[in-house]
Amino acid sequence: MPAKNKGGNSKAKEAEPKQQVSAEQPPKEAQTIREFVWQQYWSANPIHKIVEEQGLDSLSPADKQTYLNLELVRNTDKVKYLSKKSQRELWKQLSEANVPLRGAPRPRDDQWGRDKKGRDIGDYTLEEYAVYEQKKSRISELDLESTFFKRNRDRAHWETKNATTGEVYIITEDDVRAERGRRQEMAALRSELYGVTSNPYVNDPEWDDVVPIPQEEPEGAIAAISYAEDYAEAMGYLRAVMAVKEHTPRCLRLTEHIIDLNPAHYTVWLYRFDIMKALNIPIADEIEWLNEVSLEHLKNYQIWHHRQLLMDLHYPALQSDEDAIAALAADEHGFLTEILEKDTKNYHVWGYRQYLVRKLGLWDSADELRSVELMISKDVRNNSAWSHRFFLVFGNPKQSTPDSLSMEHDPKVPADIIDREVSYTQEKISLAPQNQSPWNYLRGVLVKGGRPVGSVREFAESFITSLGEGEDKEQVRSTHALDLLADIYKEAGEKEKADLCLRRLGERWDRIREAYWEYRRRKLEE
Amino acid sequence: MTATATATATATVAAVLDPPLDTARHIRYWQRCFRSLLPHHYTSNDSIRLTLGFFILSALDLLSPSSPTPLITSEDRSQLRAWILRLQHPHGGFCGSPHHALPDAFRSRFDPDTKTYVARDPENANIAATGFALLCLGVLAEGDGSHSLRGVDRVRTLTWLKRLQREDGSFGEVLTDDGRISGGRDMRFCYIAAIIRWVLGGAEGDKALDFDVDALVGHIRRAQTFDGGTSESSTHESHSGYAYCAVAALALLDASDPDSSATPNRYIHAGIPSIPALVHFLVSRQFAYLDPSDDGKEEEEHYHDIALSLDNTIPLMAGFNGRLNKLPDTCYTWWNSGALSLLGEQQLINRGPARRFILEKTQHLIGGFAKHPDGPPDVYHAYMGLAALANMAGAEGEPGLAKFDPRLCVSVDTATKMVKARETMLRPVIDAE
Repeated sequence: MPAKNKGGNSKAKEAEPKQQVSAEQPPKEAQTIREFVWQQYWSANPIHKIVEEQGLDSLSPADKQTYLNLELVRNTDKVKYLSKKSQRELWKQLSEANVPLRGAPRPRDDQWGRDKKGRDIGDYTLEEYAVYEQKKSRISELDLESTFFKRNRDRAHWETKNATTGEVYIITEDDVRAERGRRQEMAALRSELYGVTSNPYVNDPEWDDVVPIPQEEPEGAIAAISYAEDYAEAMGYLRAVMAVKEHTPRCLRLTEHIIDLNPAHYTVWLYRFDIMKALNIPIADEIEWLNEVSLEHLKNYQIWHHRQLLMDLHYPALQSDEDAIAALAADEHGFLTEILEKDTKNYHVWGYRQYLVRKLGLWDSADELRSVELMISKDVRNNSAWSHRFFLVFGNPKQSTPDSLSMEHDPKVPADIIDREVSYTQEKISLAPQNQSPWNYLRGVLVKGGRPVGSVREFAESFITSLGEGEDKEQVRSTHALDLLADIYKEAGEKEKADLCLRRLGERWDRIREAYWEYRRRKLEE
Repeated sequence: MTATATATATATVAAVLDPPLDTARHIRYWQRCFRSLLPHHYTSNDSIRLTLGFFILSALDLLSPSSPTPLITSEDRSQLRAWILRLQHPHGGFCGSPHHALPDAFRSRFDPDTKTYVARDPENANIAATGFALLCLGVLAEGDGSHSLRGVDRVRTLTWLKRLQREDGSFGEVLTDDGRISGGRDMRFCYIAAIIRWVLGGAEGDKALDFDVDALVGHIRRAQTFDGGTSESSTHESHSGYAYCAVAALALLDASDPDSSATPNRYIHAGIPSIPALVHFLVSRQFAYLDPSDDGKEEEEHYHDIALSLDNTIPLMAGFNGRLNKLPDTCYTWWNSGALSLLGEQQLINRGPARRFILEKTQHLIGGFAKHPDGPPDVYHAYMGLAALANMAGAEGEPGLAKFDPRLCVSVDTATKMVKARETMLRPVIDAE
């Protein structure tokens, strides 16, 4: 059955003179590669064209003979079985018919395939097709060069000598770089032509010797994640090099890649630390890299643990050098300030900051105290800053008992420090009386100083007017003052007053916690 | 959702259970999480897939009273059990995800000093993964749960856990090849250590397998801060998530205390210098929710403008934060209420406004809960929202949800099955005594 004709060919059909085999049709200029190939085919097979379009019967007897002769010559190897005479007759007839003996293969509809956008490549213009072909041959060329590279690398590995020059093969950095470039170019071309993505590690000659260990993920696993392909690939390589504990620069770079995609990976950080130690990477370089990562992943916890390990590693070498310690402290302080500007309450950063104070002995550092004070004055409600202040004041080994609990009296803290903290806090409370942070701090200071809560009675009372004297008279500027007053009155044995504070909190000033204030009232009785 | 909020405002404010929890919506959300791949932005959770898995399985478990057919089929159960057990490290503990589980050839090496095989990649076994693996096995239990711990290497895991404890009583996250304990001094690890010890019966049988309980209690004790809260570890900022972990760890120590009848809550009392101060800290975390202002102020600042009750009505909605002067967040409804429940003071929470905050503000149209109002839901906050609702309902239970055990953060039913599983596992251990 004749195949469906394609392209311009079928359009020209009606105009064709019947039986006119050898008449040259001026070919319409092909618009697509498909048309072009069909035109070529038909021009080499003029009789076939008539047979396909109009049937065998439409041929003149001479053409019919030519057609059958051609079929015999082109499609069978039976010519040699003919008698010599018949063969001579055959060639004579063909020669007289003056038709091309060799026919281009008949084009197939699916022979071009589709490109990555789903477009039939047969529909490409000739120019487009030329570019496409060029890219394909570029891939073959690169592929061949890549094969040579691999062969030479194997030779270099086995220290094989070049048969002509007698020199041992070597692979230079430049060779590797060129190969990487080749593979990247091939990958780009393949992605362009066929839409196949290839992964960075496969394209990197430096990783050729590593067999990745891909994740085994059975059907029906829980919490499976649709990983980006490059993550899955990189993890396969990471697992392979971690499994054999390889500590080389390429692994350091691989950890950077993984950390960028999944900073919460709990073993890649340990692995990175081991590589750093093995390669003697200068701490300053690592810190510089880490700073960038920290700013990018503000909420990550492993980053700060890693930083701590770095300091632990670095510190012994500096211990005796005061200037070096001071310089390190200044650098760290600068970075912490920068990151806390982005997220003033970042738990991990504050945790690290405490570690650093302990490690480098920054208890009396002017930088440290001043910057916390600055943070509180910028935002008096920054509880993280208040918490750090408490740590600096009551953790300072010069003026406190080691391991004294946060909630217990520490007789070693000098009275003037307690005084200073009380007045500082009171000043801050006055700025925002309903801010609980300094109220809690105030209680904490009094406990540390072993002072009764009654010592701030007047101060607390100053936030309350006419308690229990009627809705129109009663004024409360701070529920926390009222809360503290309840304890102050309880301490002083003025139970009724204490009860009134708690009752008014539940009834009027802090309704959300009414059950709690009732609970406190019950505790008064105990 | 605004329309619902307004409607509720005009309707009866007092009704604690208004609005009801639309469990069907949550079932749909969790089934999606269960049956299909999590989107690629979960990649940074790749190392804690057991944790995500726990949230998914336990959420379906909590929602099971609302479904006529099992949400996790028997076939799922055996398949998932096998998957979890494959994450068990041959030398104790579990790995957080298949990416952390290496082929067997890379997991053991011969140690010439002890003449035994030891872990070659000890760092892949992780304390959190181990705790969540055990809880997942509990949730996946079949029948009365007796056999849910079959396949868990009790002795190796307890031995490994013991090695993760530091001298100061705290726990690390992983062991390194050179025997170092790695990880921060993080209260979450203390809680997980207590879970593992309880599930595997560290207190029972051979005492040499148990870690130093008193040291752990001492460590937790040092973490109470000047404001009554609890920090990640001593002197850090108080934080209700860590407070929950501290209290729950102590509660689990109490749960396997052989003299618990003589001294109930012995460890809770030993590990918290001032319980009233902690209660004060926890209840202070609840506050009236305000819709974001239009005047361009930072949200936190916006809250500070209206800090005192304006009148003597109870606020319609009240969320919780985890630290002072931070914004409300779904998960802290759970962390705060969970800690208070374990201290026996859950009635101090104002449940109606707390429910309403998460149901009307952070619950998502497609199910699940977000961290903050109007955000996208995520597996973690979606679970914490359900945990909060189930926990705040106490013994009566939240309609549509299973009753809740705040110590293990699972349904009471699962906790009961885990007790069975422990008994079955420990029978030979105790008989040997």
